[in-house]
Amino acid sequence: MRDDVPNNTPPKYLLAAETAEGAVITLGSADSWEELLDLLAGQPENDGVPPMAYRLIRTAETEAAVKKKPRREYFANFRGAGGAGREDDGTESAPWWGLDHAAANLAARRFDDLPPLAVREWIRIRHKEPFTPGALERRKRIKEAVAEYVFLAMTAALVIPIVAILAYLVVKAWPALSFSFIFQNSEDSQAGGIWAPLVGTFFLVWISLIISAPIGVLAGVYLNEYARDNWFTRLINLAVVNLAGVPSIVHALFGVGAFVLAAGMGQSLLAASCTVAIMTLPVIIASTREALAAVPMAFREACWNLGATRWQTIRTLVLPNSISGILTGVILQVSRAAGETAPILFTGAALFTSFPYHLDQPFMALSMHLYAICTQLQGVSDSVQYGTAVVLIGLVLAVNGLSIGLRVYLRSRKKW
Amino acid sequence: MTAYSIQTRDLNLWYGKFHALKDVTVNVKPGVITALIGPSGCGKTTLLRSFNRINERYPSVTTKGEIEILGKNIYDSDVSLSELRKSVGMVFQRPNPLPISVYENVIFGLRVHRRRGELHRRQLDAIVESSLRDVQLWDDVKDKLRTKATRLTLEQQQKLCIARLLPQKPRVLLMDEPCSALDGEGIERIETLIESLRHKYTILMVTHNMGQARRASHECLFMLLGRIVEHAPTLEIFLNPKEKETELYITGRYG
Amino acid sequence: MTDGWRLFKRAAEWLIEAVVRLCGWSAILFIFAIFFFIFHKTWPLFAEGFDLREFLTSARWQPTSTVHPCYGILALLVGTLAVTGLAMALAVPLGLGAAVYLSEFAGGKTKEILKIVIELLATVPSVVWGFIGYMVLGPIIIAVTGAPVGVNLLNGGIILALMSVPVIVSVGEDALKAVPDSYREAALALGASRWEIVYRVLFPAAKSGLLAAVLLGVGRAIGETMAVLMATGHAAQIPHSLLDPICTLTATIAAELGEAPRDGTHYRVLFLIGVVLFVITFIVNLTADLVVKGIRTEKE
Repeated sequence: MRDDVPNNTPPKYLLAAETAEGAVITLGSADSWEELLDLLAGQPENDGVPPMAYRLIRTAETEAAVKKKPRREYFANFRGAGGAGREDDGTESAPWWGLDHAAANLAARRFDDLPPLAVREWIRIRHKEPFTPGALERRKRIKEAVAEYVFLAMTAALVIPIVAILAYLVVKAWPALSFSFIFQNSEDSQAGGIWAPLVGTFFLVWISLIISAPIGVLAGVYLNEYARDNWFTRLINLAVVNLAGVPSIVHALFGVGAFVLAAGMGQSLLAASCTVAIMTLPVIIASTREALAAVPMAFREACWNLGATRWQTIRTLVLPNSISGILTGVILQVSRAAGETAPILFTGAALFTSFPYHLDQPFMALSMHLYAICTQLQGVSDSVQYGTAVVLIGLVLAVNGLSIGLRVYLRSRKKW
Repeated sequence: MTAYSIQTRDLNLWYGKFHALKDVTVNVKPGVITALIGPSGCGKTTLLRSFNRINERYPSVTTKGEIEILGKNIYDSDVSLSELRKSVGMVFQRPNPLPISVYENVIFGLRVHRRRGELHRRQLDAIVESSLRDVQLWDDVKDKLRTKATRLTLEQQQKLCIARLLPQKPRVLLMDEPCSALDGEGIERIETLIESLRHKYTILMVTHNMGQARRASHECLFMLLGRIVEHAPTLEIFLNPKEKETELYITGRYG
Repeated sequence: MTDGWRLFKRAAEWLIEAVVRLCGWSAILFIFAIFFFIFHKTWPLFAEGFDLREFLTSARWQPTSTVHPCYGILALLVGTLAVTGLAMALAVPLGLGAAVYLSEFAGGKTKEILKIVIELLATVPSVVWGFIGYMVLGPIIIAVTGAPVGVNLLNGGIILALMSVPVIVSVGEDALKAVPDSYREAALALGASRWEIVYRVLFPAAKSGLLAAVLLGVGRAIGETMAVLMATGHAAQIPHSLLDPICTLTATIAAELGEAPRDGTHYRVLFLIGVVLFVITFIVNLTADLVVKGIRTEKE
């Protein structure tokens, strides 16, 4: 102790603690910065409740007043130990581990250009409980919540209006929907009665299915079972992708050029069905391939080892095991064929024609009928228009629901 | 203050109805490498994955009991998963660097845990260099910092996966069979690397390979059917196992 | 087994293989056939000295004028681009956002239901969408904006956006799902939140897949016929505002082929528009396909 300093002058350095209640308690004093750090390192470990923070203060010789804000703020886990040798920098994200670690780092002044404290300046070392969220964490959580809600809102913005529109259609169509609306023919085209177009759509779907299903399934078999990985196969794949992407109206032009004119079918049920069949071919090819690819290779190898030929393997093993997936694709084709309008516009669909249909005669289809009563004919009542739209949607959704249901059912039964 | 980095008390864990961990009570020391050994399906990896609570991403998991890491119960309500995983880093069985550049892989943790603009370019460069030097990868990749990390060799990828934990200043490193995807020399180098890291971190390593457990660990935890059978210094486990099952396992009768 | 029986079986096997092969090649056959039959119809135009430059650069589309018929498709091209662009501006952010929500945030039942709803939306026929645009959206647009007609660029854009969303959502979700789970686990173990995983890991990892999703949406929007025919007002002019009626390449063919005298110039020009459409969608789909292929080779 120095004798020349009167006993009542405040010390040059102070160590204080902040309690949870907000009080600041002086713990001790020191004559030099090094001594102060020793004092800090020697604080009890506080296994119970550590203080919120320690303050390292330099005061004036004569008065105890200090600045309001600390010069720097550091973080340390007061209850930690074994920080020696680690390169923590005393920030909230890399706190010092134990008071001795904090003191050693402050003494070394390794992590910033902290000059010696000036008079009335002080620094604060706050307790950081391990694994508890820091200031950044709060922002992170807000961001996370915002992100989730924004994405949810985007999804809702898609789904809700569409579902609302469909519900609105049903409400508007309600007055027209009746047994006779669906199962009877109208005397004139103004009133309801959609039996003729409904039957026409039925024929269109079936005939196009008879054409496209065998070709599509066999094409899928070829691509998955026979084709080697070479440029020609890639070319076929490219063709399938592009066939799926050709606009429906271009298919219509093709139908006019190839079936109606070149093949001499004229505008007829057959020409329209052929056009739709080619248009929906990629759907069947793609889903067949997917279904076949899901059959494990080991099954085939086992079969080949027994001496079966490729086709025997396919017929007895691959196809039976993938029939459900193929069927889903076929059903998808049905729903697509039922809804198409553009490809049958010039290849066979008529505004009005007489029952019964013939393969070489024009026919009525539900989609075409909806287009016609909506834009071509005047004076059709609203509810009839809405009714036709709802029946068409209902038809397509029902077929699709069947496909989804089948898929879900079969997936739950799958054994490998 | 306890002398252990990780302590569990009566830890039980279920995957749906399957009881994967049964009354696990262990104390893991800092500064040594602890190996978790046992036959497949005995719960080693599950136990390891409990320590950073990454098991919880599967909704069917239920946990009971206590895990205390660095003196803090990680199931306390004030624990943040993100902070926990920052301090408790994990290396996976298959190297899984993120599909971004080597450089971004190393500082991914900082990008996630620090405020934007808190670290300057030069600091980041320095951190990347020192982290990669710590895992002896710097010389191999210093000219490839901008290439996609998934283009590196498997050994380099695994080293990178260790390197990217370091900038976050973790305290515990969990390693789930870190060498199983590597060849002989790669295994040796990674083992040396892990040994060099042990003074700064608590290291817990799952391994299938008895030789590796013997070479690279100081303590061994032998697990069987979700229970801890024996926990002892490695040499003791290998030379003088106390339990019958341990002896059968390490002499290769099953597992 | 006799030799004859064996021979017969071998022949049958050969025959079946030949049929399968033929079906496999059918896609190529049909693509060439489509191009041939459409192009074939336009051929006489060039023999007559048809002005291809005027066709591509003039905005005057007056095919039925008796005095001086003009066949410039610029207005139609601009109409197609405008309605597609508007549709994509609406559908891409929403569709990709929904894809992210489905793949990363939604769980369990919600996810299953939303996926089924979106899948069902994909099957609503285009003529029904046209009907919705014409009957439902049109009056709403008139009421909200005071526009003289409800069937216009805005209407077509919204309808097309709703139509292309399911493609974008499902392809986008597939692209996100294809990102290996080990990446998510790695990022999670480094303390990343779900949003940080999406933004820092999934977007970079899935960007080509997401691009393919957008391109497929574009392809679908460009090729759409019935909905734009009914919802855009069918006026061959270059639009100056969102509320102007427009006309697209597809809608023009659909609306005019029935009335054009067979094998007249108008008729052939419509086929030529078909060729233009075929080429545009071919390029878009090819690009999307190459992008997807790019991902696959990179993964290996």
